[in-house]
Amino acid sequence: MKSQIRSIAEIDRVIHEPGRLMIIALLFAVDRADFLYLQHETDMNKGTLSSHISRLEEARYVEVVKTYRGKVPQTVLRLTAAGRKAFEQYRRNLRQAL
Amino acid sequence: MSYVGSLLERPKAYYNIDGVGELGIGFMCLSWSLLGWLQLHTPKTSVWNQMYTFLIYVAVMTSIIHYGSKAIKNRITYPRTGFVDYRPRDKYWIPMAVGFSVSAVMAAGIAWAARRHWEISTPASLLGLLFAAGYIRIARTVAWKWLMFVILLVGTVIVAILPGEMLESFANDTSPARGISPRAAGAFWMTFVIYGAVLLVSGGISFWLYVHHTQAPAREGE
Repeated sequence: MKSQIRSIAEIDRVIHEPGRLMIIALLFAVDRADFLYLQHETDMNKGTLSSHISRLEEARYVEVVKTYRGKVPQTVLRLTAAGRKAFEQYRRNLRQAL
Repeated sequence: MSYVGSLLERPKAYYNIDGVGELGIGFMCLSWSLLGWLQLHTPKTSVWNQMYTFLIYVAVMTSIIHYGSKAIKNRITYPRTGFVDYRPRDKYWIPMAVGFSVSAVMAAGIAWAARRHWEISTPASLLGLLFAAGYIRIARTVAWKWLMFVILLVGTVIVAILPGEMLESFANDTSPARGISPRAAGAFWMTFVIYGAVLLVSGGISFWLYVHHTQAPAREGE
C-alpha cells in the first residue's frame, strides 16, 4: 500500500501536466508530427502549445526541427528515445498508483 | 488510463480524417471486382487471364492508391489539419503481415474447396461479415458511419439469400473450368462490389465533409 502511494510521488511532473501529457501521448503513437497537427488535436492556442513544447524540449523529451514544406514553414516534432522511455515509465507508475 | 489510451489511438484514426483510407480500400475492392469480371467474361487464353497482366494490374492499382493518397494528404490534409508520419511498424509491417496472412488463408481455402468441388458461396458471405467486422474500427470514430456498417451487413445478408441463379448470372459459365463454381464466383464478385461501393461512398462523404469544415490556416508565427 505504502509503495503504491510512493509511486505517485515518482510520477514525472514534466509529463503529468495535462497539456504536455496530450502532446507526449500523441507523439508516442507516431514517428513525427507537425505543430499544426498538435494544435488541431489538442485545441491549444499557439502560445500555450509553444510553451509546453519548449518545456518538453528543455527536458530533452521532444526534438524540434524547423523546416519548410514547399514555401511554407513547418515545425516538425519527434519524441526522443528519452521521451519515449519517460512516457512508458510514467504509464507504469500511474498504473501502479491507481 | 483510458484517457491516455484513447489519446494513443487518435493518430491512427487521423489517417482517415479525410476519408482517404476508405477511398483507397473502396477503390481496391472495385478494382479487384473489375479484374474478376474481366477474367470471368473473357476466354481463359485472353490477356486478362495471364499472370503478367495480373502483376501489371496489381502494380498499377497499388500505385494509384499510394500516390493518389499521398497527393491528397500533401495538397489538402496536411496544410489544413497537420502532418503526421507514422512509425514504420504501423505504416508497412503490420498492414503487410495482415494482408499477406488473410490472402494466403483465403487462397488456400478456396483452392482446397475447389479441389474437392465444394460449394463455396457461403465463405463469400463470411468474407462479407469479416469486412463488416473490420469496418467497426472506422465506424467507432464517427457516429454516421454506423449506418454504413448496417448497409454492409444488409449487403452481406442479401448476397447470402440471393437465388443461386442470380449469383450464377454474374459469373460466366466458364468459371467451372477455372476451378470455382459460377455461384461462388458470383457471390465473391458481388461481395467485393458491395464493399467497394459502400467504402467509396463513405470515404467520399468524409472527404466532402472534411473539405467543407476545415480551412487551410495561416501558418506563420509558429
